[in-house]
Amino acid sequence: MNWSLESAETAAAPQRGGSEMDEFIRRNVMMVKLEDMVAWGRKNSIWPFNFGLSCCYVEMATAFTSRHDLARFGAEVIRGTPRQADMIVIAGTVFRKMAPVVKQLYDQLLEPKWVISMGSCANSGGMYDIYSVVQGVDKFLPVDVYVSGCPPRPEALLQGLLLLQESIGKQRRPLSWVINEQGIIQREENQVQRVIRGPERIAATELRSPDEV
Amino acid sequence: MRVPSAVSVTENLNAPVGVAVVEYLRAVFGDNILHEQVTCDRIPTLWFAREDIQHALTLVREQSFAGKRFEMLLDLTAIDERVRVNRTGQPASEFTVVYHLMSFSGNSDLRLKVPLFDDDLHLPTATVLWPNANWYEREVWDMFGIRFDGHPNLYRLVLPPTWEGHALRKEHPARATEMDPFTLDDAQTDIQQEALKFKPEEWGMKRASEDSEFMFLNLGPNHPSVHGAFRIAVQLDGEILVDAVPDIGYHHRGAEKMGERQSWHTFIPYTDRIDYLGGVMNNLPYVMAVEKMAGIEVPERVKVIRVMLSEMFRICSHLLFYGTFAQDVGQLSPIFYMFVERERIFNIIESICGARMHPGWFRIGGVAQDLPQGWERRVRELLDFMPARLDEYDSMVLNNGILKRRTQGVGVYTTQEAFDWGVTGAGLRATGYEWDMRKQRPYSGYENFEFDVPIAVNGDCYDRCAVRVEEMRQSLRIIKQCVDNMPTGDYKSSHPLTTPPRKEKTMQDIETLINHFLSVSWGPVIPPNEVSMSIEATKGINSYYLISDGNTTSYRTRIRTPSFAHLQMIPAISRGFMVSDLIAIIASIDFVMADVDR
Repeated sequence: MNWSLESAETAAAPQRGGSEMDEFIRRNVMMVKLEDMVAWGRKNSIWPFNFGLSCCYVEMATAFTSRHDLARFGAEVIRGTPRQADMIVIAGTVFRKMAPVVKQLYDQLLEPKWVISMGSCANSGGMYDIYSVVQGVDKFLPVDVYVSGCPPRPEALLQGLLLLQESIGKQRRPLSWVINEQGIIQREENQVQRVIRGPERIAATELRSPDEV
Repeated sequence: MRVPSAVSVTENLNAPVGVAVVEYLRAVFGDNILHEQVTCDRIPTLWFAREDIQHALTLVREQSFAGKRFEMLLDLTAIDERVRVNRTGQPASEFTVVYHLMSFSGNSDLRLKVPLFDDDLHLPTATVLWPNANWYEREVWDMFGIRFDGHPNLYRLVLPPTWEGHALRKEHPARATEMDPFTLDDAQTDIQQEALKFKPEEWGMKRASEDSEFMFLNLGPNHPSVHGAFRIAVQLDGEILVDAVPDIGYHHRGAEKMGERQSWHTFIPYTDRIDYLGGVMNNLPYVMAVEKMAGIEVPERVKVIRVMLSEMFRICSHLLFYGTFAQDVGQLSPIFYMFVERERIFNIIESICGARMHPGWFRIGGVAQDLPQGWERRVRELLDFMPARLDEYDSMVLNNGILKRRTQGVGVYTTQEAFDWGVTGAGLRATGYEWDMRKQRPYSGYENFEFDVPIAVNGDCYDRCAVRVEEMRQSLRIIKQCVDNMPTGDYKSSHPLTTPPRKEKTMQDIETLINHFLSVSWGPVIPPNEVSMSIEATKGINSYYLISDGNTTSYRTRIRTPSFAHLQMIPAISRGFMVSDLIAIIASIDFVMADVDR
């Protein structure tokens, strides 16, 4: 679906000869398939669950506050209970003692639901290959986006969120249990960011010296 | 039998209380003191048999020495000595229990040790003397399997109740990848959840009194106002809180076990993540402890750089506390303002260290690199910008009538109670007791700075907040002095154990090159010793007790964190209040779960 905002000054004025009705329709009516509309709505209205485990949660909270302002991406309705949320950011280390609790919280999220794994610990255990830590939350939850870093910068989480939104926008789900075939249809495969961004990263030959601010 | 040491424990001891207590214990116990151990931190360390320890602790607790008392049980832990090589002169022991006592009035420490053997691991409890011994003893039981006779609730504290084995024993695997892969099917989830269920009877709680039935409310382990993975089960009569049981261990990252695996150098990043709001300030007690064992003197410039960054992190941590404190009692907006300052400070920290929250930037014998050009300008901008903002926050938060009514007179404790529960930092100062490690035992050159130690009088939630707010102003003062008087010189020491060592000469002679290679690849070898180093961290006294067995890794790393002690106190200060007061109390403590469970 193609849709954009335009400012009042640059918006096309009603054309001479066209009726007011035509203009009204042009501005207010969109022709779109229902499933595309739903996907677009899902993509832009993620309700994250207020959930944090450790250090990463501080950076996640930073992403909510003024400078980074998660609200710009329509994902700021932080819910205190999983039953009102549809996205969980596993922000921090997943501990053996905490894992059953995380599982239960995930089970209580509303369908359709998504998981962002934030930070090295949640991705793979990170620097904590230790008896009390689960080596990655994907040992017991399906993960949609992995955000790297220890902890990731708030910007990295925002990028992860945008990737998730992009992916949600491409997903088509049955509109009801009686309509369509069941199951998620991924319109396009999600691409590996390492592959997409690789050339750009390698192209950087001169890095800023750490001797200057 | 007493084994005479080459050097007396009281020699070179500048605290008269330390001398007095040792002489007193010598007079009472005579040859029953098994050994007087000399450690490089010059804390008198006396070994007692299991039969004598409770008597000795009682005397230390109840007597005064040179007019001063030992008010606090700062730490209680154990050492698995079974594979330790360098134990010259120490009594035979497989597991040693260590008591670290602290005299605030006399500014002195005392360490008592008890040798135990694997087939007979038990000793009398100290909970009858210090209430805060409760959690420490439970932790020792959990981690080492040492039982404390007479302990009221000797359950596991940190590891899940279903755990097998005791994690800090040397035979317990350290890595998750050494153990069976973790799986969590539905049946497992049910078993684990069932084990975590709160059973009031286990805690000696009744389900009803004569006239009412109690309600049990479970907060956590995921609850927006418990600040992390922390759980507290509350017993309620109507809305009045009868009792509470904090349940921790949901954030245990095995940092102490990690210390036995990582080299002295590569453990530094793990310290950052102990009090994860304290950043490089966590590195400080650790690197200073290692430096003390290695005999490294760091250059003046290093000291001032370390102080400056530590104080920045103190402000960052206090700002987060300030915002969340206001948020927890219902003020939603202040935190959005306070994160602006945090971002400014993180910008500076990032331009100096290259990372925001966990730079891991201090090194054994120095810091990672010199300050970048132009750092002063950025710091000065902060110094210009921040005081006005702090004043604005005063009118927004501290002078807010609703906030005052929610927090004044709530969660009150006295100085004596603070000592009994091991409370340090702003929580202790809010009771009117002026104690700050930076003043009382200056480290890293704090003696050269002018700053005040803010105190309050009532010891309630409001005062704890007010003290921290004033501390931010004092931290700004210290940072200003750092900028104005930054010494020139090296950013790392020339001592051979400095890690990584200085590189200038490595390409000139083979000896330095070999040393450099070993120090970087294997890590430095620290001479066998024991040391304890405490600092005034963001939340109270943070102390590292390190034991080197003359190896590239630590033999035992004990991390005494302030939040652990503070959390234990919640039930004692919240009885009789309402649930909403409990939230204010929890917010006012300013804890971080990584600092509790490590």
